[in-house]
Amino acid sequence: MKPESDAWQALNRHAAAQLRGGFADRVLRAAHGPQPAAWRQLQTAGAAQLRPGFAERVIRAARAAADMPSLGSQFALSAATAALCVLAVVYFHQRNVAAADERNLAEWRQVVTVAEDFDAGLL
Amino acid sequence: MEPTSPTALTDLVRRAQKGDEVAQRELIVSYQHRVAGFVYAMTGRSDYVEDLAQQVFIKMVRAIDRLQAPAQFESWLFRLARNTCIDQLRRQKLRRIFLPFGEEHENIPEPPGAVDSEELDALRHALEQLRPQDRALLALVQEGRSHAEIAETLGTSVAAVKARLHRAREHLREHYQPEHET
Repeated sequence: MKPESDAWQALNRHAAAQLRGGFADRVLRAAHGPQPAAWRQLQTAGAAQLRPGFAERVIRAARAAADMPSLGSQFALSAATAALCVLAVVYFHQRNVAAADERNLAEWRQVVTVAEDFDAGLL
Repeated sequence: MEPTSPTALTDLVRRAQKGDEVAQRELIVSYQHRVAGFVYAMTGRSDYVEDLAQQVFIKMVRAIDRLQAPAQFESWLFRLARNTCIDQLRRQKLRRIFLPFGEEHENIPEPPGAVDSEELDALRHALEQLRPQDRALLALVQEGRSHAEIAETLGTSVAAVKARLHRAREHLREHYQPEHET
């Protein structure tokens, strides 16, 4: 019996040696979840990331952003420019087509005149 | 630091709404630490804090004239902060999908113990395991937002907020292991 109880004790000792110091505290902390102090530390750590002069930088950036044209107005300007370009292309295309028609018609009239003269001459 | 009474806060917000830069600055100084803490809780990244907090306050300055109830300034501000952080986390996720090998430094989590105490490390680690929406919920509660305010922020019912909060707390507890025993 002695060796067996020794073995059990040795097993217990070995198992207990696996637990690091502060085991009970850690168990309690894990069971209760983060305490308000941990949340406060989180907030303090976050706040510590802001460099001095943060508010001034924000105001400056907000002012610069306000001076910039809004996305909507940029889009409207782009749309208006595109519409003007399309109108210009259509206008010049129509004018070229009309001029070409005029030219062709004049040439045909000339051909007709020549043909009529030729017919008259022949007759 | 913060306006001492609700009336003082309302006055300050009204002045800020009229474009008074002194009042806007005072609001930023009053809330910058709380917003920074909220951003840190949401992202777990100290290098994002200043940039995201700045985005939150720029949105505040640009949109404050549209805030109809100055008394609800705080819950409005934290709604801006929540949305800004969630947008950032979504963008980060998309970037990871489309640029899996690009800007790898963005995806490196802060090493435990780099800047924090054991509890803070454990809390950051536990928060990282939660969905951003749950992190926001817990952080809003820590900020003192009531269930009704949170329900309004999230566009849901108070009962749903309570249920989600309960689940989020359970998950946080599951992952909260000081000294990273997992």
